[in-house]
Amino acid sequence: MELAKKTKQLTDRLNYIREIFGGKHQEDIMLLESRLEEFKNNTSTNFEEALTSLEDLFSFIEKKLEEKLTPMDKVRIVRHPQRICLKDILENVYDNYTEIGGQDEHTNDPAVLIARAYITRRHGRKTYNQSVMVIGHEKGHGEEFRNGGSAKPWGNAKALHYMHVAETEGIPVHSYIFTPGGDPVEEYPGAAQQIAKNIYEMAGLSVPVISMISEGGSGGAEAFGLADKRLMLSHGYYSVISPEGAAAIEGRLKRGERSSPELIEQCAKNLHLTAQDNLAFGYIDKIIQEPLLGARPYHYDFFRTLRQEIIRATDEVILSVYGLSLRKIGKLRRLQDPETNLDETYIRWHIRRSKRSDLIENRQNKFLRMSKKSYVNRQNLLGALTETWSEQWREVYNRLVYDFYHKQRKNYKNFLEEIEADWLAFKEKSSKPFKNAYNKVRRIDPAAQEELTTLSKWDDADGRNSNWKWISPRAKEDRAITCTNSAIHGCVDLWAPDLYNEFAGVCTNCGHHFPMEYQWFMYNCFDENSIYEFNNEWEAGNPLNFPTLDERLEEARKKTNLRSSCITYEARIDDMKCVVAILAAPFRGGSVGAAEGAKLISAIDRARRKRYPLIIYSHGTAGIRIQEGTHGVIQMPRVTIAIRRYLRAGGLYLVLYDTNSFGGPVASFLGCAHYQFAMRSSNIGFAGPGVIKNTTGIDVPPDHHNCYKALSRGHIQGVWDRRDTRTNLKQALLTMGGRNLYYR
Amino acid sequence: MGKEHKVLVTNRGEIAVRIIQACCKLGIKFVAVYTAEDIHSGHVTLAKELGDDKSLYCISSYHDANELLSVADAANATAIHPGYGFFAEDFRFARRVAERNRPLIFLGPSWRVIRELGDKINTKRIARSLNVPTVPGSDKPIYDESEAEKIARTLFEFQIQQGVEKPLVLVKASAGGGGMGIEEIHDIDLFRSVYRRIRNYAMRQFKDDGVLIEQRIKNFNHLEVQILSDRSGKNPVHFGTRNCSIQSTGLQKRIEIAPGFDPSTINYSFNAEKVMNDIIEHSLTLAREVNYDSVGTWEWIVTKEGNPFLMEVNTRIQVENGVSAAISRIHGKKGVDLIAEQIRTGLGEPLGYTQKDITFEGIGIEYRIIAEDTENNFTPWVGDIDNFSYEKTPWLSMHTHLPKMSKDNPYTIPTEFDPNLALGIVWGSNIEEVKSRGKEFLNSLKITGSNGQGENLKSNIPFLYNNTDRILKF
Amino acid sequence: MLDISALLEEIKQRPYTDLSICTPHTGYLEFGAFNEGDKVKDASGEFKEIPGSKLAIITRENNPRFIYATQKGIIQKLHKQYDKNFVEAGVEIGILRHFLSKTEVIHILLQKALFLFSAPERAKYYFAPEIDKKIKISGSRSITVTDGMELFIVSRMKREVPLTYHGPEGIIYEVYFKHNQNIDANMPLIGICPPDQLQNIEDVISRVNHEWKEQ
Repeated sequence: MELAKKTKQLTDRLNYIREIFGGKHQEDIMLLESRLEEFKNNTSTNFEEALTSLEDLFSFIEKKLEEKLTPMDKVRIVRHPQRICLKDILENVYDNYTEIGGQDEHTNDPAVLIARAYITRRHGRKTYNQSVMVIGHEKGHGEEFRNGGSAKPWGNAKALHYMHVAETEGIPVHSYIFTPGGDPVEEYPGAAQQIAKNIYEMAGLSVPVISMISEGGSGGAEAFGLADKRLMLSHGYYSVISPEGAAAIEGRLKRGERSSPELIEQCAKNLHLTAQDNLAFGYIDKIIQEPLLGARPYHYDFFRTLRQEIIRATDEVILSVYGLSLRKIGKLRRLQDPETNLDETYIRWHIRRSKRSDLIENRQNKFLRMSKKSYVNRQNLLGALTETWSEQWREVYNRLVYDFYHKQRKNYKNFLEEIEADWLAFKEKSSKPFKNAYNKVRRIDPAAQEELTTLSKWDDADGRNSNWKWISPRAKEDRAITCTNSAIHGCVDLWAPDLYNEFAGVCTNCGHHFPMEYQWFMYNCFDENSIYEFNNEWEAGNPLNFPTLDERLEEARKKTNLRSSCITYEARIDDMKCVVAILAAPFRGGSVGAAEGAKLISAIDRARRKRYPLIIYSHGTAGIRIQEGTHGVIQMPRVTIAIRRYLRAGGLYLVLYDTNSFGGPVASFLGCAHYQFAMRSSNIGFAGPGVIKNTTGIDVPPDHHNCYKALSRGHIQGVWDRRDTRTNLKQALLTMGGRNLYYR
Repeated sequence: MGKEHKVLVTNRGEIAVRIIQACCKLGIKFVAVYTAEDIHSGHVTLAKELGDDKSLYCISSYHDANELLSVADAANATAIHPGYGFFAEDFRFARRVAERNRPLIFLGPSWRVIRELGDKINTKRIARSLNVPTVPGSDKPIYDESEAEKIARTLFEFQIQQGVEKPLVLVKASAGGGGMGIEEIHDIDLFRSVYRRIRNYAMRQFKDDGVLIEQRIKNFNHLEVQILSDRSGKNPVHFGTRNCSIQSTGLQKRIEIAPGFDPSTINYSFNAEKVMNDIIEHSLTLAREVNYDSVGTWEWIVTKEGNPFLMEVNTRIQVENGVSAAISRIHGKKGVDLIAEQIRTGLGEPLGYTQKDITFEGIGIEYRIIAEDTENNFTPWVGDIDNFSYEKTPWLSMHTHLPKMSKDNPYTIPTEFDPNLALGIVWGSNIEEVKSRGKEFLNSLKITGSNGQGENLKSNIPFLYNNTDRILKF
Repeated sequence: MLDISALLEEIKQRPYTDLSICTPHTGYLEFGAFNEGDKVKDASGEFKEIPGSKLAIITRENNPRFIYATQKGIIQKLHKQYDKNFVEAGVEIGILRHFLSKTEVIHILLQKALFLFSAPERAKYYFAPEIDKKIKISGSRSITVTDGMELFIVSRMKREVPLTYHGPEGIIYEVYFKHNQNIDANMPLIGICPPDQLQNIEDVISRVNHEWKEQ
């Protein structure tokens, strides 16, 4: 009996080793195999002795292999069915818990688990049950229905709901990230848009949030990841994309093709996705050491460590919002001493109402400080200094003008308006009898008669035939272009000089919008000569030294004359000033990395400081620039936090999608906008059709991500005709946003 | 001139036949196109008869500019004659023809002129700037409700003052055309609701909620002035006026008469001679202003008080060009061919004569012969024609694309296009003579045929006959 | 009574149709990689989003367009004289031999077995509005037509007139016309199955499903 059990355990251990190394270290594995086989067959000799020796051998080899772990091995560890899951943590780290987000498969999303749990701490004679809201991905141990921990949008929505519950109850949130990525479901609330909402809301959650990353797959991880403390398991990974996904992109694979294991291994290494990498980058706060070759459910020591670390992290966040009193210093010192058993100390997990905004501000600042060195700034020192100075001055000026002067003026104006209305009502009443009499004797006005037959004045007379200011170079080619919908709508081929100039890239028959250059938007939708570009010295870099990225960036710079995919500028529409950011598709697919993130944040801050509306035009974006790894991913919470601050300060934020917008940007700072519009024929989504096919095996219809679908699903607020962009922007600026809009 | 040119005829039917004939008359090569439905059309037969192996091409559609230009290149054409309809007044097509890598001559006005005069508001404004009379009302899109109402109110008052018994005002979408988004009102109290309806319609349909407010003129005669100018654009000449007032219920022209009035035999309540001279002068003034450089028609309406208003300019050859040619003499000679003149001057040759060299003689009537049920809302009749015959006389010229046919080899009227079958132009030295010749011609004209349901062909010959007596009477 | 066996035998003798591959418009033609005797594919993918084999490229106004195979089959003939030459519209550039599928055989047999109501003249045809509504909701087979019923609207030269159905009572088993498409005179519009024939028709279908082997 004992033998069978032990044999089973060792077989599991062996299988585990075999599986996590994906065919490597065959000699070691064969050695273990043959010894295990011997042990099974050899019943005559001393059982205890043989077992001990075999277990020693296992430990020895495991230790040896631990040192040889590659990033890809860690990816395999994290994905292994024997890896610890959230249920294991709830059982072993917390003292008691109740699942509240459904049970097993009886929930709207079995990949997301929610529980109310408590940790019992003793201080002196007293025991305290400290409640927390636990949310996280549940991978289970290979159960099909868990969907591998890929949360559906409604799973993320559920999690967000319970985060708000925690906020109401004033208890901390512990979030556990075990996800390869979000499930690319477009149905409402939509994968991307829901992740964006989660990030946006977490940026302002008024209770401490502690997250722990085991498997941090890009957008799916960010949905739970915006925390005050981010812990990470030593064998976990946190990455912008799975190594397989990266390999598919790097190898330029078509749908259905498979990349070689070597390329995948190489990508895993190049992505710098390990806990150690991420700690060095500053995107996580601490690594929790796991047992050799990764934690499994029977590693009870590990759970004890984890418990201590979770408690410590929560305590630290609580303490960090209060000033440095003597008592607090003492507490901190004890906290930081690894010998202290935190179960036997007590810090109340509660933050006073007055301190909650500090907590939020600390969290936001923490993220805004990240990834500063991950891009290149070509601006000279003097320029930088002048800018900083003028920014400071702006701040003071605006405080004066908007917060003081305008407020007073508004009050005065309201008063005048009321008086005027009263006067008009009085006048109306008293003059009524006269007015009627006057109407009867009215005669033809000779001037009016002349107006009917002679040329009138018309300021806009030239406007009717006026051309676009910026014309695509494609309008110079003498060639016909076939409309994408010609088979359905019978559209006749269009002549390029008509299509790309006068028609603004719109098929005159069916209204299909051909993609246009970002310059079309930039130069045809704003007042002439009103564009002032800023921060164009900021350049996309190669923070991970990703192979060949430097060359590719150089090529993109040459091709596009841009330093990053993001262009930020100030402009006017009918004299309304605004700050605009463009994600330009020609520069590396409009992907967002550290430079783009920094430019966006700077633009958002500028709009906040200057009290201007903010427009982000996604000319096209393929997502986060994968070659920057987590330097890219971290821009999702960073930029979203900046947006949140801007909106909270009373700004108006508009997003306009064109061509194709997918991935991280949509799942964060674009998708969180209250006002999102799309140019006709554009596509919006979380993952493109190819990625969906690769990750879920599902074929989606060609129009799956079409803007009208996005509109029907409730992700965006309207679809615009390109030719009306300027009018619609103007209309939007005039009609949207709260009453505190500064520019009004 | 001429020999090195080759004209692509991008049209079908009767006008294609006439363009091909004009080319041959001028000694210029031509190339014709047709679609599968038109394989039996007369213009195809004629092209085969008169052309060489690169004179006829099958295309997928007359509406596809790419087809036309692809054939133009394949056949080495140097110029394009669009006829009427299709691309004749499409400035973008004219521009493409002129600006493509292998440019061709567009036999029509330059694209800038087409664009300028193709826009009714623009035409009205140019006219007003030259003191050419236009329909009372706004000459720019109105976007403001109270301004619109003010104009409508003034228009009603204006008409009452002018003695109009039942004043009417038209509200139309300024971006519209072809009868879309137009409503008339007889009472100012209805204005606001109609205005809003039109404005909303225009916004939905044309993405521009501007409206025009104009007087609705009833009981008028429809006159036209035929203009021709060479490429210099400096010395336009006219070929007199036409009266096109006899129309179907759908306001399609059926009988055209040149000249527009006949004051020598008919009494008008106004000075008809002066009206004709005025509209000719006004038309020429406008033509000079825009440097008009081809053949074109200025459309006018003349009220029963004798007030003319310029409606629009058709920047193309028109169906009824032949009736003006029939009464015109250059250097006293008959046989004027406006299409040939258009091609000749279009290819760059100077006009070669002035207004003094053009004289007029007699009266012409053009009958549009169509298979239709004039008793029943002018419903087109579709089926097979097996006989089309008439008596040939020196005073008659017939233009048709109908091929030779018989009971065993009938011609099926294609349903895809305009239902015109033929144009019969009759000339007489005075109104009595032309009327009697017209009736003689119509009496001799025989069209027979039947359709799938066994019904006999219905034509508008009785309608044309009955209306002959009332020509040129206001 | 219809002799299905005989009909089926007849089709089996010639289990294919020869389709003419025509140019959609004028242009400069270049044949693709296929030769006579080659197999070609039709459009595929769950949404027919992957086009069929590229038979030729036709370039018009500097705009190259592929001529795709619309049916699978074998290229029977290619008129190579057009290769690298200017072609007119609607010119046959080759012949594709398409082997009949089960549904196509059923379609042929149904045309013989059903009562066909044909177009009296060349025009566009639509179902009368209330019937159209029912068809859109529950399909054409939910409609029982009777003699003298106002079933269609004939649209010709922008004018619309109603058309009444004449023939036996039955359900609309097949619809042979498409929205906005001109139908030539005497082409079938709908196939009617009288109620007593329904069993017969179902037999035809099940027999084909059993007996027909697709190539």
